[in-house]
Amino acid sequence: MSEQAGYVPVVGAVAEPQPAPEKSYRFSEQAIQELEEILTHYPDKKSAILPALWIAQREYDGYLPPQAIQEVADRLERPFVEVEGVATFYTMYNLRKRGRHHLEVCTCLTCAVMGAYEVVHHLEKRLGVKVGQTTSDGEFTLSEVECLNYCGAATVVQVGDKYFGNITKENVDELIETLRNSNEFTPADLANAIVRLHIPERTAKK
Amino acid sequence: MAETLVLLKHRDVPGIENIDIYEQHGGYAGLKKALAMERDAVINEIKTSGLRGRGGAGFPAWIKWSGIPKDTKKPHYVLCNADEGEPGTFKDRELMLKLPHMVIEGMIIAAYATQSAKGYIYIRGEFVESARSIRRAIDQAYKKGYLGKSICGKEGFDFDLYIHMGAGSYECGEESALMSSLMGERGQPRLKFPHAPLPIHEGVWQSPTLINNVETYAAASQILAHGGAWYATMGTENSKGTKIISVSGHVKKPGNYEVELGYPVLDMIELAGGVTGGKLKAVIPGGSSVPIIPAELCKDFKLDYDAHQVVQYSMRTMRLPVVGSGGFMVFNDKTDIVVLMRRTAEFYTHESCGKCTPCREGTRWIFKILSRITTGGGLPGDIDLLVNICDQIDGRSYCGLGDAAAWPIMGAIKHFRHEFEYWIEHKRSPVGEDCLPPAPEPLNPLLTLTPV
Ligand SMILES: Cc1cc2nc3c(=O)[nH]c(=O)nc-3n(C[C@H](O)[C@H](O)[C@H](O)COP(=O)(O)O)c2cc1C
Ligand code: SF4
Ligand code: FES
Repeated sequence: MSEQAGYVPVVGAVAEPQPAPEKSYRFSEQAIQELEEILTHYPDKKSAILPALWIAQREYDGYLPPQAIQEVADRLERPFVEVEGVATFYTMYNLRKRGRHHLEVCTCLTCAVMGAYEVVHHLEKRLGVKVGQTTSDGEFTLSEVECLNYCGAATVVQVGDKYFGNITKENVDELIETLRNSNEFTPADLANAIVRLHIPERTAKK
Repeated sequence: MAETLVLLKHRDVPGIENIDIYEQHGGYAGLKKALAMERDAVINEIKTSGLRGRGGAGFPAWIKWSGIPKDTKKPHYVLCNADEGEPGTFKDRELMLKLPHMVIEGMIIAAYATQSAKGYIYIRGEFVESARSIRRAIDQAYKKGYLGKSICGKEGFDFDLYIHMGAGSYECGEESALMSSLMGERGQPRLKFPHAPLPIHEGVWQSPTLINNVETYAAASQILAHGGAWYATMGTENSKGTKIISVSGHVKKPGNYEVELGYPVLDMIELAGGVTGGKLKAVIPGGSSVPIIPAELCKDFKLDYDAHQVVQYSMRTMRLPVVGSGGFMVFNDKTDIVVLMRRTAEFYTHESCGKCTPCREGTRWIFKILSRITTGGGLPGDIDLLVNICDQIDGRSYCGLGDAAAWPIMGAIKHFRHEFEYWIEHKRSPVGEDCLPPAPEPLNPLLTLTPV
């Protein structure tokens, strides 16, 4: 994909030797219970791959190293490659570690005409990274994403489990400051929020 | 012309997302009426209403509802398509956020009509806020006996509703891809009728499956509450009822507006407060997949399922939709249509699932050619080449995404050919330096949507 005109490879994202997945499991007691609950929603185990990957993404700090994929595969009794195929298909599963805050700037049609590219260029300068890279202090990852379907508030930026609307190159600095001082809206928060959405209140543990 | 509020009537009532307040405003009345009727009578009510699917294709809802087998040898499933991904559309997001019970009520009615015991709402992963609202609403509905066993005291009618979150893929909005995704697979479409059974016979887990859009279910709840005949008094002969239009772009008051189908395009712009930052240049009336309409033709178009635009390939003519999913994007005269199309092509390139060649390769070629045009490297034959590629994709790809990638390009070439020619000849934007969106920097293409 990185060979395409218009695509620049993300630094360090290609041809890096992957360590053989180790079998050390990290799902917590709570995660195992959540997975058990989710499994009751479907007629077979395979169908729980997506939610199970969300649990893994939370348990493994906001991304899916090969061990995480192995753990999901083992717990659902599916082959590793099948789960890996799913994990690599969807853009919200992170195959590499993200910064503490992942800035996902929508640059799709409406946002593009409402100044999203200015926001992106401003952020590139301000953070000293290119789209797809993480700042050296590990604080921010900058990404461009497709329509977040909140176009009425263009430009929209998603950070963790939250949408920030009406972002311009003037007010985006404020957003950066807010995030620097915040422990919320991390990639793991997003994964956690999504896992919790699957769990009905009557079975949820307080 | 003003809005006609049916679904969004109570959207500003504080607390309407809670079950008590929803009930005070007539909530779950449609379900209670449905449960007092025979199943066929419920479907008949939908038929009388003339409701057509609101997800984009406008397929009559009652045909799907009545197609679900009458026996229950296999379990039946009801799915709600809440993977709203079409650029420009944000109606499902607001419906789920503010009126979650209306969506759930519609699904319970559909479950009753089709004898389904399980349902799933497939919500795109990014929509955490809307999904939280749905989660709370489902939990409340269980407590009140609208979900679970013997719903509203009706012996033998059990229905469980689950949330299934997506993980970032536009293609999962395509119904068979959504089913793949629900079954834990990559979001790629499945073989279609006539080569495979229809979803109403063999859908998810090889069982009869009903799938509709969020807005379709919400409308069904109102149809049962107030009657199909009442709903059919709104709209036009072939497009009955109301539609939520998401207006964005260069307008004063972007947002969701609910209007009767058949609403004129120009009035829609007025309703949203008029154009800002310049004069009207063009409108994309139904999400990124439908062809663009230039300002001077807007007066001829109305928003209904009969409205269409015609594009010409070398050997065939195609009729393309206008309403689509209802993502209405307005552009002023500083907008560079060619750069806009490059961004559209970028979207489809990124979202193509890679299953079939015309779309997987074609979308990339379109994007490459538009990239070279908008960075000053366009060649004289490029416009014909684009038409040729679109011809090879449209109608020849495995699912609707390929077609939808070709249509906007064809529309833009039809109405704005001179802008493409200007770019190729002068190697700069016909709109000038301050065009929107700015042309990409030649050696620094922004797209880095590679999986990481
Ligand atoms: C590429 C593609 C993307 C689609 N995305 C959506 C979507 O996000 N939401 C939706 O409701 N329908 C979407 N559809 C339409 C669905 O395939 C299907 O027609 C719809 O869910 C049926 O519901 P309805 O009859 O209520 O419209 C999409 C179709 C295609 C081809
Ligand atoms: S048209 Fe083909 S490649 Fe494109 S999304 Fe559909 S199946 Fe995938
Ligand atoms: S274009 Fe940015 S949210 Fe739709």
